[in-house]
Amino acid sequence: MSRVYVTGLGVVSSLGFGRGAYWKSVVEGRSGFAPIEGFDTSGFDRSVAGEVKGFNARDFLTAAEARRTGRCSAFALAAARMAVEDSGLLPREVAGERTSVIIGTTMGEADVIGELEQTWIRRGLGAVSPSRLPLYGSTLLPIHLARAFGARGMVQTLPAACAAGNYSIAFAADLIRSGRADVVITGASELLQKLQFAGFVRLGAVAPDRCQPFDKNRKGLIIGEGAGIMVLESEAHAVRRNATPMAEVGGSGLACDAHHITRPHPEGTGSLLAMREAISRSGVTPDEIDFVNAHGTGTHANDKVESLVIREVFGDRPVPVSSMKGMLGHCMGAASALEAVACVLTVQTGIYPPTMSYETPDPECALNLVANRSATGKAEIVLNNSLAFGGYDAVVAFAKPGRLPYPAPASSFSQ
Amino acid sequence: MRPCAITGVGLVSPIGVGYDAFCRALAAGTDDSQRVFRGHPTLLNPERVADPVAAECYDFDAKKYLGEKGLRNFDRLTKFLIVSAKLALEHSGLKRDGVHQVPPDRIGLCSATAYGSLEAITEAAHVAELEDPRFLNPNRFPNTVINAAAGYVSIWEDLRAPNVTVVDGNCGALDAVLSSETHLLYGRADAFVVGGGEALSEPLYLAFRKLDVLAEGSRISVPGRRESQGMLLGEGAAYLCLETPQSAHRRGANVRAEVVGYGNAFEPPDSEAVLVHVSALSVDRAIRMALADAGLRAQDIDIVASAASGIPHFDAAELVGVEAALGPHIAVAAPKAIFGETFGAAGGLAMACALAWFDGVRVAPLVTGKAPANPRHIVVLAVGYYGNATAVILRHGEAARAS
Repeated sequence: MSRVYVTGLGVVSSLGFGRGAYWKSVVEGRSGFAPIEGFDTSGFDRSVAGEVKGFNARDFLTAAEARRTGRCSAFALAAARMAVEDSGLLPREVAGERTSVIIGTTMGEADVIGELEQTWIRRGLGAVSPSRLPLYGSTLLPIHLARAFGARGMVQTLPAACAAGNYSIAFAADLIRSGRADVVITGASELLQKLQFAGFVRLGAVAPDRCQPFDKNRKGLIIGEGAGIMVLESEAHAVRRNATPMAEVGGSGLACDAHHITRPHPEGTGSLLAMREAISRSGVTPDEIDFVNAHGTGTHANDKVESLVIREVFGDRPVPVSSMKGMLGHCMGAASALEAVACVLTVQTGIYPPTMSYETPDPECALNLVANRSATGKAEIVLNNSLAFGGYDAVVAFAKPGRLPYPAPASSFSQ
Repeated sequence: MRPCAITGVGLVSPIGVGYDAFCRALAAGTDDSQRVFRGHPTLLNPERVADPVAAECYDFDAKKYLGEKGLRNFDRLTKFLIVSAKLALEHSGLKRDGVHQVPPDRIGLCSATAYGSLEAITEAAHVAELEDPRFLNPNRFPNTVINAAAGYVSIWEDLRAPNVTVVDGNCGALDAVLSSETHLLYGRADAFVVGGGEALSEPLYLAFRKLDVLAEGSRISVPGRRESQGMLLGEGAAYLCLETPQSAHRRGANVRAEVVGYGNAFEPPDSEAVLVHVSALSVDRAIRMALADAGLRAQDIDIVASAASGIPHFDAAELVGVEAALGPHIAVAAPKAIFGETFGAAGGLAMACALAWFDGVRVAPLVTGKAPANPRHIVVLAVGYYGNATAVILRHGEAARAS
């Protein structure tokens, strides 16, 4: 079975475009939070988000692409262009039947459906343009990317809510391991949209102006948006073109709480299973994990349960943990993809991103947090946690190339 | 692909709820389709939608299957999925009298939908636009998220292995088969509930009316035939229980059929200005890939359960692709003539048709060719609106046992 390497990264985020700008902001602990400009927030008593400012689709997309994409697809396509360029793959190497595109999201083209609904409700059916209708559909996210790069393999969207990035990366890696693709462009994209924002405010999940993961006085999440895309390649493909792998995608754990649609299981059963699977499927033990990029949303329930699970997995060992949501906010479907990009960069640089706005320790979240300042340390194997709406849990390991034992062959359905 | 056992099926369709009712309706033939496409769908307000033609699941009542309690906040899609999953798990014996026969953390769910809950999104948009976003119902809002329905299935049926929602337009339910097979292969579960669902709603109906692809008024819909002038919408959900052969053997399950091959392809349009298009090449390649995956030759295939929906140029391109891969004499059926286009559910319902044909139900309606009496291998097709296509090959359970 093949090793799977990350060979390129692309980012659209409130902290910058491209992995260089993004990582610089992350290491410096910058905040992507600002008053929302995309829509009117009066009447919500919440007005701050990790909104992507200054994104001009035409900086990254052709005129034809910009015409047929909504903001969510445009984010994904822009980040994918950066990732493919970063990988050094030539157009002929990325095109063809052996390249697949697997993209995660929560709401997909929410702006397109929002605009269609608004026109229908306010101005009547006659005002809805038939040419805009086919632009809706989460199906389109990978289609746009496949068209841009000439990829002719599987195109698939995995709307696994806030675990979508990890779900996509895990499935993409499995596609390569099972020999169904040589290259997969994968990750996730999400946009900030009024209806979704209103919903989260109504659920009482949104904090006033900042997000304080694992802090005793945490008040909830701040919504963000963006896209994190990576190029995954089989070892053979990367070696053949003499590419330098940035990191190896290790094992992944996928599970479902089957407990509540929005709340995590109080004992984190699914989350625990997913973390343990990611570690064991990487062929290592918990003692070998150097850092955990936590889901850490800043909500009371998530951070408490996630802390419980991390302590359960690592026992007394104070593994360094951080949540990036104090900087980026919760980018929904894109969250774990953007955090996965950071995990790759942590593996490359040995820098742990900081958990910002951390002030008061919470005994229920007794973790070895990388608080308020980034830190350096061993980063041979790191874990990326995500827990999502619907009870989804997904954890992916990233490692220095060659650090993990060679992957065991697939089960062949062995008992 | 390593063959996976199909041990059960559960579905909600315009022609019946549950596999047995579905088979009976299929056996009754296309006479039934005259009934399902007649009458004003109750989901469409006549003041806003004049003279619609669609196959609604008219008699569907979730309470009959799930009891009275706990359904209040579920939308139509969620109810379809939960009922289908429940029926599939019981049909396969993975659950008996509500008790898991395989541990819950070894059963996953892989569920497709093309458009999610437009009902919930529209409901929320109306509140936000016409009243106040602060009045959004926090118990209903979660339904706007695409994977909500699948999340509710996992809770209702207690399924704790990976829960995957797949979106690939009309191809989703067949793509879910590969997703599940991959997860089974890597030991993430012993069994998967696989398929998809789609619910009819006003915005969905109006969108396709606006796109001018519906066979309304004097226009006729004859999927797969040249004289067809459009498609008709249906709705429903269908799940199969897919298991590793070991798991099926261990618990002595009845292996009704196996999934033995999968292929998927994407071809972009020639013009950058085009978004919606159909590719015969994709269909051809997806079938060839599935044949290679299964280690079969074109002549091993007995029937194609096509995706033909009645949109003339889509159906024509699909047939070109099918003939390129399987030759001009292959028997091609068009199940959507019976229950309409169901998008995310389509691949699931088409696989259910294939199982019915294995079980001796007459293959109908045929578009080309003659169907053999005892089919062994059936290609199930899905064709997307953007140049993508997926093919899955099912093998009859008895053929599977003999091999």
